Amino acid sequence: MQLETRKLLDRAFSGLSVISVLLMAGALIIILGPMMIRGLDAFFFRGTTDWRIMMMQEFARGDIDAVEAERAAIWEVRRPVFEAIEKFEAEIEEGNVGREPGVPRALARIEAQAQYGRPLRDLKQHVRELLGPFPSDTPVMPRSKYGATRWDLALVHFQNVMYVEKYTHTDPTQMGALSYEPRSEQFVGTPVEEIFPYIEENLRAMMNPKFTFYPQFLTDSSRDANIFGGIWPEILGTTYLAIGAMVFAVPIGVIAAIYLVEYAGDNRFVRLLRSCVSTLAGVPSIVFGLFGLAFFINGIGVSTGRSVLAGSLTLALLVLPVIIRASEEAIRAVPKSYKEAALSLGASKWRTVLTVLLPAALPGILTGIIISLGRAAGETAPIIFTAAWALAPTLRPSQVLTEGTRALPWNIYNIATEHERVEFMRHIQFGMVFTLVTLVLSLNAIALFLRARISKRLRG
Amino acid sequence: MAEHSATNRIGRQTNLLLSARARLIRRILGLIGHTILILITSASALAVFFIFIYIGKDALPFFGIHVEYLWDGAADMLGGALGLLRGDVTGFRESLGEFAEAIGRFRDGLSFTYTRGRLTEFFTGIDWYPSREPGEFGAASIFVGSAMVTLGAIIFAVPVGVSAAVCLSDVLPFKLRQYTKPIIEVLAAIPSVAYGFFAAVVFGPQLLRRGGTLLEIPVWALGVPLTVIISVVLGDLLTSKVDLNKRRVAKTLVTILALCMFGAGLWWLGSAIRGLQFNSGQNALNASIILGIMALPTVVSVSEDALQAVGRDLRAGSYALGSTRAETMMRVVLPAASSGICAAVILGVMRAIGETMVVWMASGNALQPRADWFNFTLPVRTLTASIAADMGEADQVIGSQRYHVLFAMALALLSFCFVCNLISEWAVHRTRKKLAGE
Amino acid sequence: MIKMRWVVTGLAVALIAGVFVLGCGSETHVDGDTPGGSFSIQGSDTMVNLGQALAEHYMYEVNARAALSVTGGGSGTGIAALINDNVDIAQSSRAMRQQEIDNAAANNVEVYEFIVGQDGIALAVHQSNPIERVTAAQLKGIFTGSITNWADLGWSEGGNISVYSRQSNSGTYVFFNELIMDGEDWADGTRFMPGSSAIAEALTTDRQGIGYFGVGYVRTPGNRVLELAQSEEGPYISSLESEKVNSGEYLLARPLYFYTNGVPTGLVRHYLDWVLSDEGQNVIMSTGFYRVTPEYEEHNRRILGGLQ
Repeated sequence: MQLETRKLLDRAFSGLSVISVLLMAGALIIILGPMMIRGLDAFFFRGTTDWRIMMMQEFARGDIDAVEAERAAIWEVRRPVFEAIEKFEAEIEEGNVGREPGVPRALARIEAQAQYGRPLRDLKQHVRELLGPFPSDTPVMPRSKYGATRWDLALVHFQNVMYVEKYTHTDPTQMGALSYEPRSEQFVGTPVEEIFPYIEENLRAMMNPKFTFYPQFLTDSSRDANIFGGIWPEILGTTYLAIGAMVFAVPIGVIAAIYLVEYAGDNRFVRLLRSCVSTLAGVPSIVFGLFGLAFFINGIGVSTGRSVLAGSLTLALLVLPVIIRASEEAIRAVPKSYKEAALSLGASKWRTVLTVLLPAALPGILTGIIISLGRAAGETAPIIFTAAWALAPTLRPSQVLTEGTRALPWNIYNIATEHERVEFMRHIQFGMVFTLVTLVLSLNAIALFLRARISKRLRG
Repeated sequence: MAEHSATNRIGRQTNLLLSARARLIRRILGLIGHTILILITSASALAVFFIFIYIGKDALPFFGIHVEYLWDGAADMLGGALGLLRGDVTGFRESLGEFAEAIGRFRDGLSFTYTRGRLTEFFTGIDWYPSREPGEFGAASIFVGSAMVTLGAIIFAVPVGVSAAVCLSDVLPFKLRQYTKPIIEVLAAIPSVAYGFFAAVVFGPQLLRRGGTLLEIPVWALGVPLTVIISVVLGDLLTSKVDLNKRRVAKTLVTILALCMFGAGLWWLGSAIRGLQFNSGQNALNASIILGIMALPTVVSVSEDALQAVGRDLRAGSYALGSTRAETMMRVVLPAASSGICAAVILGVMRAIGETMVVWMASGNALQPRADWFNFTLPVRTLTASIAADMGEADQVIGSQRYHVLFAMALALLSFCFVCNLISEWAVHRTRKKLAGE
Repeated sequence: MIKMRWVVTGLAVALIAGVFVLGCGSETHVDGDTPGGSFSIQGSDTMVNLGQALAEHYMYEVNARAALSVTGGGSGTGIAALINDNVDIAQSSRAMRQQEIDNAAANNVEVYEFIVGQDGIALAVHQSNPIERVTAAQLKGIFTGSITNWADLGWSEGGNISVYSRQSNSGTYVFFNELIMDGEDWADGTRFMPGSSAIAEALTTDRQGIGYFGVGYVRTPGNRVLELAQSEEGPYISSLESEKVNSGEYLLARPLYFYTNGVPTGLVRHYLDWVLSDEGQNVIMSTGFYRVTPEYEEHNRRILGGLQ
C-alpha cells in the first residue's frame, strides 16, 4: 500500500472512532433532551382559569375571591356556547328542527336526531373537554368537573372542537388520506353553527391562560388517577425503597469488601465467592423480581403481600455487587503506606482496618453507595411483584414493614401505558420521568464530584 | 475501656510479650471475627445459591420434576429424626413411611417421556396459549424474540462501543478523555424505565411516522465516507502491481469505477431503507436500538479496560516498526485484547437480554408470526417481558403450569447469564494471563 | 478532607431525616363516625384506573380516615392474592373459576362476589377504516386467522388485517377468547399488547389494525368503534350505546366483579356500599364504564342482605 493510502486509512480510523464517541454523546442528548425539556412542562406552563379553580377546589390553594371573580368573568364568555348547544338540543327534543309545516313533531324529532344526534354528542364531548361541564351535567370525578386546565391541552381540545378528522379514499391502492374538516359543516343552518367562530374568536378570553409555576408538583398527592395533582407519594415510596435497599446492602457489601481485600487469600473458596459476586451482578433484574416474590414473600414471608421491606430486600441483592466492587476498589486504592504505618505502630489488623483503612476509603465507598442508591431508585422490574402499588396512601415510616407503596419507576410505566387518558397526561408522565432522571443523575453527579476529589487527593 | 483508649491516643505502652492465655483469647477472637467476616461475605454466594434454588424449585415442576416432594420428605425425615432423639420411635417410623411416600410421589411425577416432551415443546414449540386448559407452552417464538432484540442491540452496540473504546484509550488526548467519561456514566445511570418511556413515547411515534427517513440518515452519514475510503484503498491495492508510469492513471480509473459501483449499492440500500414501512412504532427495531444504547456503556468500559491492559510496550514496538496508529490498533492491540473484547460483547449481550422495561414498553409484545422471524419491523415478545406481563394471571397459589412455565423461562435466562458470566470471566482472566506472560 | 466528610455525612443525614419527617407530616385526622383504617385492592388491569378513581374519590370526598391501596397486574393476580388472603378486595373482569373458589376454600377464604359495574368491550379500528360493522362470525374469523384481508370484509384496498389482542394475563383476553372465538387459537401474528391503552394507542396509528379493549379506553379522535351483531340480520350495536350495554343486548358486555374474603364489615363494607350507591356508580360511569344493571343490583342486594 502506498504511504498516502495508509495515512488516509489512519485518519479514517481515528475519525471513525471519534464519530462513535460523538454518536454516543448524540444519543445521550437525543434521549435526555426531550425528557428534560418536556419534563419541565409539569412545572412551568400556562394554566387556564380551570387550573386555578381546580387548585382552589382540590388543594384549597389560591385567593378565593380572585378565583371566584375570574370564574364569574369566564362564565360570561363561555355561557353562549353552552346555551346555544343546549337550546339546539331542546329544539330537537321538541321537534322544531327542520320541521316542514304539517309534519308531526314526533317524526321531525326522529329525523333531526338521526341527522344531528351523533355529531351533537361528539361536539358536546369535545366542548366538555375544553370548557368544562354543561350546566345540566352533574360531574362527579375531578376530570369531568373542569375544562382544559392547561393552555397546551386547551389548544388540542380546541382543535378537536373545531375540526373533524376525515379520511378520504380516492386512490384504491393507497390508504385513506387524512384531512381536517371544519366541524361547523355538520351543523350548517342551525344556531350551533355560530358557536364555532365565536369560540375561535374568544378562546383566549374563555381560558384566560396565565403563566404558572407549579413546584408543588413534587409535594402534592395525586387526584383522580394522577390526572391532577403531584407525585409526592411516588417520590416518597422511591426514597423508602432506595434507602431501605441501602440499609441492607451497605453493611454486607462493605464488610464483604473488607474481607475480600484484607483477609481473603487466593484460594478456591475466595475465587468462588468472587465469581458469585459477578454472577449476582449478571442476574437479570426481572429474575430478581421473581426471586423476591418466591423467596421473600411466598418463601420466608417477610410480609403477607407486597411491602417496602420485601422490595428493599430484593433491591439490596441487586445493588450488593455494585457496592462490593466499589468498596473493594476504594479500599485497594488506599496507599499501602497508610496500612504499613498503622501496623508498625503496633495496631492490630482489625484496628487498622477500622481506624485507618475505612476512613481513608470512605469517600470511595460513599461514591459506590451513592451510585447504587441511584440504581436502586430507578429499578422497576424487581419491585413489580414485591413492592409496587398503582395507588397507595402516602406511607408513614412505621408502615414500611407491611405496606406496599407507589414508586416513581413503576408509576411511570403504569400511567404511560395503562391509563385511559394517556395522551392528555403526557406532562405528568414527562414530569415523573424528569424527576426520576434528575434524582438519579444528581446522585451520580455527587458521586462524580466525590471521585474527582479523591483522585485529586491521591495524586497529591 | 475508656481509660484504655485514652492511653492509646497518647501512645500505647503495652508489653509486647503477651501471656499464653491472652494470646489464646486473641486467637479465638480473631477466629470468630474471621468466621463472621466469611459468613457475611458469603451472603452474596448464598443469594446466588438461593436464587437458583428458588427459581429452579418453581421451574422444574413444569417439566414434571417435583422437587418439593423431596423437600417435604426431607422435612418429615428431619422431624422424625428429631423425635427419635427425644425417644419417639413410632413417630420416627411414621416419618420413614412419609419419606418413602414422598419419594414415591416424586418418582411418579418423574416420567422421562413427559419431561422430554415438555422440554421439546418449551424450546421448539410455537403455540403459546398458556390460559387454555390444558395450556400450550411452546416458547420458541419468545426465545426468538429475545434473540432478535439482543442481536439487534449487539449489532449496534459492539462496533460503536469498541471504536469508542479505541477512541477513549488511544485517540483522544488525556484532557478530552476526562470529559467523555461522564457521557458513558450518564448513559449507564439513566434508569431503564426512562429508556423504555423514551422508546415508547418519543422514539416509537417518530419511527412510525418517518421511520424510513430516520434510518436513512445514518446510512448516508456512514456510507458515503466508507464508500470513498474503500474505493481509494481498492484503487491502491488493485494497482499495486501496475507499472509505475501508468499507475496514477490506473489508480484513478479503478477508484472511480469502485466509487460508482459502491455508490450505486449505497443508493440502492438507502432507497430500500427509505421505503421501509412500519405498522407500529413499537417493534423489534425500536427495542434493539434502545437496548443497544443501554448496552453501550458496558461494552465501552469493559473493552477500554481490555485495551488499556495491553500496555505501552506492544504499542511502542509497533510504532517503532513504522506502523500507523490504525495499523497498530488493528494488527497488534485489538488482537492482543481480543478476549477482553469478547468479554465486553458477552457482558453487552447479558445486559440486553436481561432488560425488562424497555422491551416491555417498546417491543410491542406480539408473538412473532411464524413466517416472519427476524423481520425487525414487526413487534416481538421477549422472555423478560413475558415474565413481567404473564405473572399477573399465573396462579400463584396452586402453582399452575402457567406459573411454573414463567419460572422455567426465568431459569433459562438465569442459566444463560450464568454461563455467559463464566465465559466472560474466563476471557478476562485469559487476557490478563496472556499479557502477563508476554 | 475531614470537613468534606462531615458535610457529606450531614447532607445524607439531613436528606434521610427530611424524608422521614415529611413522610410523618402527611397524616390527616377527620372526625366522624365513618370507619377508619386501611385496606388493599388488587386485580384487573382493565379496572385499575377505575379502582384508583373510586378509591381516590372515596378517600378525598367520602371518608378521609380511610387509606386504600390499589394496584393492577391482572385479574388473576388479584384472585391469587385473595386466595392467599393478601388483599381485601380482588377486582376482576372475569368471574372466578370454580377451581379458584375451591382453592380459596382450602385456604379458609370464603369468597363473596359483587358486581359493581359493567364493561362494554369496544371493538375498534383505525379512524380511516371504512368498515362500520361486523358480525360475531366475521369477528371470530378475523381473530382466529381465517379472515386475513380487509377485502373479505368489503374494504378492497385495506390489505392485511393486523390483529391486536390483550395479553393472556387479562380477564378481557379470557372473556373474548371464550365468547367470540370459542376458545380457538389466535391468528398468527396476533399482537398481544400489555394493556388496553396500548391497543387503543396502536390503533390510532395502525390503519390496518383491529383490536378489542375496555370501552373506557376508546380514543377520540383516533379510534373508531365498530358495531357488532350476533348475525347478519342485526341488530348492530356499538359499545358506546350505554342503554344497550346496560340491558345486555350488546354481545361483548361483561360485569365487573369485586371479590371479598368473607363478610365485608367495617371499612370494606362502607366502601362497598358507597361503590354500589348512586354516587359510586356515577364515578364508574364517568370513568367510561357502565352502571350495574337492575338484575345484578338484585344479586348484590341478596348477598349483602343475607349478610346482615
